[in-house]
Amino acid sequence: MGVITDKLPGVLEPVPGGQVLLTAVDQLINWSRSNSLWPLTFGTSCCAIEMMMATGAARHDMARFGAEVARPSPRQADLLVIAGTIVKRMAPRLRTLYEQMAEPRYVMATGSCAICGGPFMYDSYTTIRGADEVIPVDVYVPGCPPRPEAFFYGLLTLQKMIREGESIRHPGERRRPVLAALPEGMTLDDIRKEMQDLLSHDANVKMVDELAEGAHFSAELKDF
Amino acid sequence: MDAPNLIAAVQALQPDATVREKTDRPTLIVPAEGLVALATRLRDDPALKFELLEAHTAIDWIEEDRFELLYLLASIAHGHVLTLSVSVDRENPEVPTLCNVYPIAEWLERESYDLMGILYDDHPDLRRLFLEDDWVGFPLRKDYEDDFMLERPE
Repeated sequence: MGVITDKLPGVLEPVPGGQVLLTAVDQLINWSRSNSLWPLTFGTSCCAIEMMMATGAARHDMARFGAEVARPSPRQADLLVIAGTIVKRMAPRLRTLYEQMAEPRYVMATGSCAICGGPFMYDSYTTIRGADEVIPVDVYVPGCPPRPEAFFYGLLTLQKMIREGESIRHPGERRRPVLAALPEGMTLDDIRKEMQDLLSHDANVKMVDELAEGAHFSAELKDF
Repeated sequence: MDAPNLIAAVQALQPDATVREKTDRPTLIVPAEGLVALATRLRDDPALKFELLEAHTAIDWIEEDRFELLYLLASIAHGHVLTLSVSVDRENPEVPTLCNVYPIAEWLERESYDLMGILYDDHPDLRRLFLEDDWVGFPLRKDYEDDFMLERPE
């Protein structure tokens, strides 16, 4: 990318219409970057198991989003998923791995431990209270550990950030870190209502709470 | 060998051993002095044959001012298990090493030295295992404190 991103603005900008073209190139580059994330094989505790299930296993298959190949070498990776507790001895290694990764590099912090230390925040002699004390984080995915759906929500949020993010004229300029959690103010009842709305089109689906009221039961029993 | 027979057989070897009641594994409280001799006989006795030291841990009983060391033994040949419990003084936690009986004890004892500060006499290589070499203190002791730790608010 070096040649394109370094030389292209100087070549295109004097040309009439070149700035418009540059914006289009920006969009193309960001689109391709967002859809070819290569995560680093890096996991420190139980969140890593969840990450392996999300990335490697067939059921959730991260390849659908273009983040397919987990790379064993940081030189070939541009997405660092911090999955698990970061302890004092791991922190310098994490920093080294981050610095070895190819630019532009992105960081997802998944799970309570990577966000703030989680259950080891207090009275721990060794746990770093949040991976962002060591490296900058782009997306935080809450959970202990996060479900694969939450993990993918974080990944999609990151892809959205990349698409709207850097430009050739302003490399290194990022959007502010985000918390990829449920939208504010949303409660369990809202989710339940949405599920009900989605399912109510299906004649075979009956809601448990309606059944519990006995209306369906008694009606069906009478028919029987 | 079932638990009562096992305890009787070990008590025949070590008369000072007392039984701890209400445990899942048969557990004997033994003095620190004869530990190596007892472990050697437990390993070599054909009827007992404890050839495996499964785990070795330490517990900090700070109110009673002592460390309790647990040696979890198992016999693959006979399929029975036994726990030995040794108490040492908290101020001077010295205990003989089991390295010459069970080679795995070298690393297990290094771990409990690292985190609890138990001192093993005649250990060939008593260094820290997990923490940095220049770490001060033993963090799994109940009275451990350092600047990094964050107090849990009430």
